[in-house]
Amino acid sequence: MTISDILSISFNNLRRNIFRSILTILGVAVGVGALSTMISLGRGVSMNIAKQMETNDLFTGMTVSGRDLDMDHVNSRRSILSPKDEEIVPLTDSTIADLKRMPEVAMVFPEIIKPASIQFRGKKINTNLKAVPCEMGVFHPFDNIKIGTFYKTDSDPCVIISKNVLHQLGFALPNEDIEHISEHSLTVIPVDSVIGQDLDVITTVFDPEKIDLLTSTSKQLPIKNEVTNLKIKGIVETNSFSSGMFSGGIFLPPLTCEWVPCIDLNYVYNLMNDTQDKYGKYASIHVRVKDHSLLKKAKFDIEDKGLHVFSIGDKLDDLERLFYILDSALAAIGIIALLISVFGIVNTLIMAIYERRKEIGIMKSLGATQWQIKQIFYYEAASIGTIGGIVGVIGGKIISEIASNIANHHLGTFIDSNIEYFSYSLSIVGISIVFSIIVSIIASIYPANKASKIDPLDALRRE
Amino acid sequence: MKHNFVIKKLTLLKIQNLSKTYKKGDNKIYALRDISFDVEKGEYVSIVGKSGSGKSTLLNLLGGMDTNAEGAVYYDNRNLLEMKERELSNYRKSVIGMIFQSFNLIPSHTALDNVMLPLIFSSFPRALRRTRACELLYNMGLYNRALHYPSELSGGEAQRVAIARALANKPQIILADEPTGNLDTATSREIIDLLQMFNRKHQITIVMVTHDKETANRVSDKTILLSDGEIIKTTINKPVYNLDDSSTQKPQFNL
Ligand SMILES: Nc1ncnc2c1ncn2[C@@H]1O[C@H](COP(=O)(O)OP(=O)(O)OP(=O)(O)O)[C@@H](O)[C@H]1O
Ligand SMILES: [Mg+2]
Repeated sequence: MTISDILSISFNNLRRNIFRSILTILGVAVGVGALSTMISLGRGVSMNIAKQMETNDLFTGMTVSGRDLDMDHVNSRRSILSPKDEEIVPLTDSTIADLKRMPEVAMVFPEIIKPASIQFRGKKINTNLKAVPCEMGVFHPFDNIKIGTFYKTDSDPCVIISKNVLHQLGFALPNEDIEHISEHSLTVIPVDSVIGQDLDVITTVFDPEKIDLLTSTSKQLPIKNEVTNLKIKGIVETNSFSSGMFSGGIFLPPLTCEWVPCIDLNYVYNLMNDTQDKYGKYASIHVRVKDHSLLKKAKFDIEDKGLHVFSIGDKLDDLERLFYILDSALAAIGIIALLISVFGIVNTLIMAIYERRKEIGIMKSLGATQWQIKQIFYYEAASIGTIGGIVGVIGGKIISEIASNIANHHLGTFIDSNIEYFSYSLSIVGISIVFSIIVSIIASIYPANKASKIDPLDALRRE
Repeated sequence: MKHNFVIKKLTLLKIQNLSKTYKKGDNKIYALRDISFDVEKGEYVSIVGKSGSGKSTLLNLLGGMDTNAEGAVYYDNRNLLEMKERELSNYRKSVIGMIFQSFNLIPSHTALDNVMLPLIFSSFPRALRRTRACELLYNMGLYNRALHYPSELSGGEAQRVAIARALANKPQIILADEPTGNLDTATSREIIDLLQMFNRKHQITIVMVTHDKETANRVSDKTILLSDGEIIKTTINKPVYNLDDSSTQKPQFNL
C-alpha cells in the first residue's frame, strides 16, 4: 500500500460525507486561523512597533542635563525654573567632548532651541528653531529626506522643515493623502514652491531704544521683532514616535541658529540669579548611542559622571516584556481554538468508524493489516489538518489584512505612518500548518486504534 | 504394511479436533464439536447442514477471521489459531479468497475499485493493478460493469465482482459461505459453474458452505455434513464435470 493509495482511499472517504468533512475542516481552519492570526498579531505588535521605535531616535537617543529633570512635574514652571539646589554640573563644550569620547556614543550635540514665528506665503505660526548639526544627516529622521536634501555644512543659511509645520501653515504637497488634506482643508502646492523658497523667521530681540521705557509708565516691553530670511532646503517626515527634539519644528545648522538673533531666556534668568557659571553654556545635550542595546550602559556611564539623563529608551525592555506576554496570551488563545477543533476531528473519525464498520470488516477480510487500517485514518486526519491548516492560514491572513486596514484607517489620522499590526512570515505559515497536521494526527490516534481493532467477523455479521 | 499407489496428495488445511463454544450465561453452546478433516490441494469441499449447525463458524475459522477456538487449523504447518494478527492478515490476503452470501462489496467503491482493493493491501505493483482488475472483471463477463457501483449491479453480477475480488491475489483457497444464497436458481447455477470451472481448470481449492445437498454432491469432491457442530457424515463424490457444456458461454481464463 503506497502513500498515494492511502491518500486516494482517505480522500474518497472524506468526499463521501463531504458536508461533514467540510465542517470538520472549517473547524480546524478556524483553529489554525486563530492561532496564526494571534501569533502574527503578537509578532506584528512587538516587532513592527518596537522596530519602528528602535529605528528612530526614541530608543537610541537621550537627553543629558546638568540637573535633575523631575519628569513628574515636567510641565510645571517650578521644577524648571528653580530646581532643587543639588549639585548642578555645568554643561560646557568640554562636557560634549567628554561624551563624544565614550565608545557607545554615536552622536553628541547640544540641544539649542529658540522660540520663533515663521511666515510662509502669507501664513504665520509659532514654532521652535532647533539647531541640528549636519552630521545628523545620516541619522533618523534626517537620513530619509525624500523632498529636498539635508544641509551639508553647519553654517548653511537654510532650514529643514517638518511636514507637520507645512500642514500647520495650511499647505500640503501634491502626493499626500487626499482625505487628510480635505479633512484639514489644506492647500495643495507644488514641491517647487516650497523647496528653495524663502522662509521668514521672526524672532524677538532686545530693543535698546525701548529700554528707557521700562522706567516709564508704559507697559511695553523693550523688545522688537527681527526677521531672518532662510531658504527651505528640505522637508522631513517625523512620526509620532519621535522624541521631543525631533518631533517637529524647524531644523537648522548650529551656526546658522546662533546667527539668528533671539533673547536667551535662560541667559536672562541666569543673570538674574547670578548662576551663569553654575549652569554652563548649554541647558541640555542630545546623545545618541550606536545601538539600542548600548543605551543602558551609556546611560549609567553618563550618570557616573554626575550628569542627569533622561531617556525613555530604557523603558523598551519593559515594553518588550509586555509584548512577550501579549504574544504568549494570544498564542494560547489560538492553541485553545485549535484544541477545540481537535474534538471535531475526533468526533468525525469516531462517527466514521461507526459508519464504515462493515467496510473496515471487509477490508480486514481481504487481508488489510491493522497498520493499514490505521494509516487510512491517519491520512484522513492529516488531510483534514492540511486543508484546514491552509484554509485557516489564508483565512487568517485575509481577516488580519482587513483588520489591519480598518485599524490603520481609523488610526491613520493620529499616526502618520501605516503600522503593520500582523506580521506573517513563512515560518508562521509553515509552523501553523505543520502544527495543524500534527495535532490532527494526534487526534486520530484513538479513533484509528479503535478502527484497527474492529473484529471483522463481528463487523460482517451486522447488517 | 499395505502399500498404496496414491497420487501424491498435498494437504493445504489440516483441521484437528476443532471445537468452538459460545457462552450464554452459565451454559455453553457448542457451535463446533471436535471437528477433524483435511482439505487437499485442488479439492472442492462442500459443507452442508441445517441452519445453526455451525457451517459459517467453521468457515470463518478456516479463513482466519476467527481464532477463538480449541483444537487446531494447520496451514503450512502453522496453527491459524495461534497466529499473530500480522500473520493472520497475511494469510487472509495471500492464501484465502472469501465469498459471502451478501457479496460484501464496498458500496462506495465501483466494481473496479472493489476488485483493486485486495491488490492495494497486498502491494501489488500500482501500474499493473488496474490491468489486473480489468482482466478479472473481463473474465467474469463484467467488463462493461467495471465502473458501476454495487447498487447498480444485479445479484449475480455483484457476486461475480466478489469472486473477481476474491481471485485478485491468486489465492490458494476460496472460502464461499452460501455464495448462491441470495440468488435465483439460474443465477446460482452460473455462479456454481464458475466456481467449479476455477476448481477444475485452475486447481483452485474451494471450501463452500451450502444448504443445497444436491448441488454439493454434484460439484464437490467431498461433502461434509454438519449437525449441531459435529461432522455426522463425509461423502466422497464423483462429481459431474460440465466444463464442456456449450449452453453457457465461458470466456478463456488466465489466472
Ligand atoms: N456470535 C455468536 N454468539 C452466540 N452464538 C452464536 C454466535 N454466532 C453463532 N452462534 C451460534 O453458533 C451456532 C452456529 O452458527 P453458524 O452461524 O455457524 O450456523 P450456520 O450453520 O452457518 O447457520 P446458517 O445456515 O443459518 O447460516 C448457532 O447455534 C448460533 O446460534
Ligand atoms: Mg451461516
